[in-house]
Amino acid sequence: MENSMSTQIEEIYVKDVMMNCDSFPVVNDRELLRETIIEMCNYGLGIACIVNEKKQLKGVFTDGDIRRLILKVQKPIAALFVDDVKDYCTKIYSSITPDTSLKSAILLMEKLNIWDLPVVDNENNLKGLLHLHPALKKLLGI
Amino acid sequence: MESRIIAIGGNGVNYVEVGNDKPLVFIGGPCAIESEKHTMFMAEKIAEICSDLCINWIFKSCYDKDCRSSKDSFHGVGIIEGLKILSKVREEFKIPVVSDFSDPNWAQQTGAVCDLVQIPAYLCRQTSILKAAALTEKPIHLKKGQFMSPWNMKNSVRKLESFGCNQVILTDRGTFFGYNQLVNDMTSLPIMRKIGYPVCFDATHSIQLPTSMGNISGGQREFIPFLVRAACACGVNAIFMEVHDNPKKALSDSNTVLGLKYLKQILLEAIEIHNLRIKLTTKNGEFNVHTD
Repeated sequence: MENSMSTQIEEIYVKDVMMNCDSFPVVNDRELLRETIIEMCNYGLGIACIVNEKKQLKGVFTDGDIRRLILKVQKPIAALFVDDVKDYCTKIYSSITPDTSLKSAILLMEKLNIWDLPVVDNENNLKGLLHLHPALKKLLGI
Repeated sequence: MESRIIAIGGNGVNYVEVGNDKPLVFIGGPCAIESEKHTMFMAEKIAEICSDLCINWIFKSCYDKDCRSSKDSFHGVGIIEGLKILSKVREEFKIPVVSDFSDPNWAQQTGAVCDLVQIPAYLCRQTSILKAAALTEKPIHLKKGQFMSPWNMKNSVRKLESFGCNQVILTDRGTFFGYNQLVNDMTSLPIMRKIGYPVCFDATHSIQLPTSMGNISGGQREFIPFLVRAACACGVNAIFMEVHDNPKKALSDSNTVLGLKYLKQILLEAIEIHNLRIKLTTKNGEFNVHTD
């Protein structure tokens, strides 16, 4: 049984379980912070992928970024809301390609203590999002 | 923080660039076009001063004063006569001109004559006005409403951009502080500059006491030079001032317009401080303190 599951994991790739770009928040880097947070609420996900006009990934903005921002920022919330999301997103982030094995992707998530990983191609075009829940469901066959 | 450089004029008149580390630009003239004779007189006098100081200048005067406190106050010479006079100023002195408009239907005619089209502060978030201004395809002088926060001006800018305009100057003219009083918050200048466009400080409206005298506005003109110096030190690309040879007799904003005799000294100080500010901040930038 263990061998069977282990083999199964090796044969699953990120592209098999990743969420498509219309299933999670994808926002332009000039989007206002408030609109970005609304998008995150609409999808019920703690991450938004920030892209440029060519849909290339420029950063990620997460629940953690919001928490840290609230503790740090001194300006009125009304001023914060109209800032561009690019001013606050994390620009140095980890990403994977669709052909990455699910196992190595999950090991990376474990190492970084995160549960979302943007999926990009070799030109950094956003292709999807690996979210831990669909990955687990796939592995558990549910 | 780099901002776009806005190009104004050319086409037979002086070509003026506003933004970044370009020389300080003066936008000014009598508040209202009172008559052709007076407008030409003022243009000639201000032209002499600006020529002496080698400062680029955009002549400002309005043909319709739709925002007066009293219905009995001077309302302006009207769009046809006003634009004819502005056109004459433009041709005779070879300088760009600016006027505001308060009715979307006036935008095209205004833009056909003026090198810069102004949106009044009270109307700075009106979509129909912003759209009409953008459709003139002229650079736009957008004043921050006294009721607006500087960061919320981004919403108006985004509206202009959505209508195809990316040539904007953002101007602070004071912010309401309770009733009948304005406060001048210099932090508005870097905040608006961060939106990505040049900023201007309107010194004569900033000292206004709106409708403080019952049915007309008052003003504390004595503070004009102090605020100009502060704004230039803070960092602006242009200074706006309304000027009159005889403020007491001015048909509009008589309590706030600057007496012509003071203009040269104030502009001289502004230029000196602007140049020093650029010299001091060019090397290290201004937006790199406490951003960590």
